[in-house]
Amino acid sequence: MKIGTLTRMALLTAAALILGYLDSLIPLVQGVPGIKLGLSNLAILFAVFYMHPGETVLLMLLKVGLSSLLFGNLIGAAYALAGGVLSVAGMLLLKRIPGVSVIPVSMIGGILHMVGQCLVGFILISVRPVMAYAPWLLISGTATGLLLGVAARGVFYGLERYERRNGA
Amino acid sequence: MEHEPKKNRIRINLLLALGALLFAAATIVLWFLLRPKPGAGGSFVIRYGNGETLTVPADETRTVVIRDGKLVDEATGEGDENVIRIENGSARMERANCRHEDCVQQGVLNAETAVTRPLGAWIICAPHRVYIEYVGDGA
Repeated sequence: MKIGTLTRMALLTAAALILGYLDSLIPLVQGVPGIKLGLSNLAILFAVFYMHPGETVLLMLLKVGLSSLLFGNLIGAAYALAGGVLSVAGMLLLKRIPGVSVIPVSMIGGILHMVGQCLVGFILISVRPVMAYAPWLLISGTATGLLLGVAARGVFYGLERYERRNGA
Repeated sequence: MEHEPKKNRIRINLLLALGALLFAAATIVLWFLLRPKPGAGGSFVIRYGNGETLTVPADETRTVVIRDGKLVDEATGEGDENVIRIENGSARMERANCRHEDCVQQGVLNAETAVTRPLGAWIICAPHRVYIEYVGDGA
């Protein structure tokens, strides 16, 4: 791995961990497990659009592994890993569509993240209770995906303008 | 993606975003149409551990303590612990030492609230793999 890539990976992992910690402090909907803003996915979105697919997957694995180690537990890691794998795979595939923007990619990524969590819930809890609140997870995944997509679009726009101005 | 005509780009992105919104909206509509509406006079089924269940009639008054996937007599606050209180035809998660205590915030479950609560007839503690289901008479 090149030193530039390594530095970028380290910065994005640190950003994802800090954003993930901040996320855990913001109660979005009390009483429904699994619903949160998903701020750390901003780092993943950046990787999907600006880094190699392999590096994106590695970043997601680092984010899930380290945040579970620092702030979570094994069961939480299973939910996060399933959600992460499905959403990253989906977003990387969508990114291949010519002309696609970060907003719909983020929205569908949000939905896939929740689908992954539901699949783990089916195994660890049971199908029927998880089905009872799966629609709320999917709605929240779409809404937070939209919000993050808009935020990421602003970040990407700022970065591209900075690069143009500095000729990077 | 810069080479894609602007009109096509807008169309692709709108289609994908609308598709995502429609999918999420459709699941909510289906949820409202298909959710079970249990009748009164039923019982609470508590599932814990590796699929073990305990059924408590709704008219019973009882406190159920589950620690590390097993039924125990007294709460100590150690391990993965849930304290479930059943009284006056209702059940609630009285205490739990999971991280966000979502299950405690899920409130009271009974024949009436099973139809109106966002989680329907269930109280779910996902981290401890414990859930309570209200099953109506004749269900």
